[in-house]
Amino acid sequence: MTSNRKRKKIEDSDTELVEAINAGRHDLFQELVKRYENKLYNFGSRMCGDTRDAEDMVQETFLNVFKYLKDFRYETKFKNWLYRIATSICIKKRRKSKFAPERELSLEEFLPKEDASTLGEMPYWAQLPLEKLLNEELSKMLQEAITSLPKKYRVVVILRDVERFSTAETAQILNIGESNVKVRLHRARLYLRDRLKGYFEHGV
Amino acid sequence: MVSDEHDPKHCVAMFEKLSEYIDGELDELTRRQLETHIDGCVSCKYCLATLKKTIKLCKQLADDPVPEAFHLKLKEMLLQNMSDSGPRAQKR
Repeated sequence: MTSNRKRKKIEDSDTELVEAINAGRHDLFQELVKRYENKLYNFGSRMCGDTRDAEDMVQETFLNVFKYLKDFRYETKFKNWLYRIATSICIKKRRKSKFAPERELSLEEFLPKEDASTLGEMPYWAQLPLEKLLNEELSKMLQEAITSLPKKYRVVVILRDVERFSTAETAQILNIGESNVKVRLHRARLYLRDRLKGYFEHGV
Repeated sequence: MVSDEHDPKHCVAMFEKLSEYIDGELDELTRRQLETHIDGCVSCKYCLATLKKTIKLCKQLADDPVPEAFHLKLKEMLLQNMSDSGPRAQKR
């Protein structure tokens, strides 16, 4: 890779606003905050599992964005750059706190244990429409399951399945390869699936 | 996890690809191999269905509102910061 290669400018719904702020309209920074405050707060809550840590992260993220916005090169969507900063702060924060122990999730631990001949009907929760499944208790349980994932899996499943970034964007935000994103995502999803299975079948 | 007709190694290889299948990230050949496998493997079929539902539930997680007290604190802190200094380029 050549260091002086000129990358194409990426324009998105934030470009005009970011350019205006960088041109001196600092008063418009609050508009940027308004656009992302809620999303970042919820991202932080899910990543940290703690609303105070989430608040600290949001504050630190916007301070960094304000400080370094002039460095933004429009080589990615602004939102992706923002989440890169936020993710990095979350990861540093989590190192200091008491959360899920870091461990590797292996594929083997999620392989179905049942013999095909003893399997009954398709699990009922796979067949029910979402609106019949979703309730506050289930959301809370799923959120707790996400928080209990080891960090490197948690961040990937949140970025991909909650925040809905693509595989390529997630890889860019985390500065890891796309194949690594796919492996972590699959294991994180299998972990959450096991937790939901336990919840629906045994109430745990 | 597999019936006698299945090659366990092939079954694990297909199981490993379920997320990429759901995300539409498999090449045509692997996608067809996986669909053939799913047709004959109850375990993988159930896993695929429950995995899809897991992803849908994650996508439906609702956002909480930002606490008003924090919203005001953040606004004040940023206004204070903006009055002190504007955005600046990082010194290298």
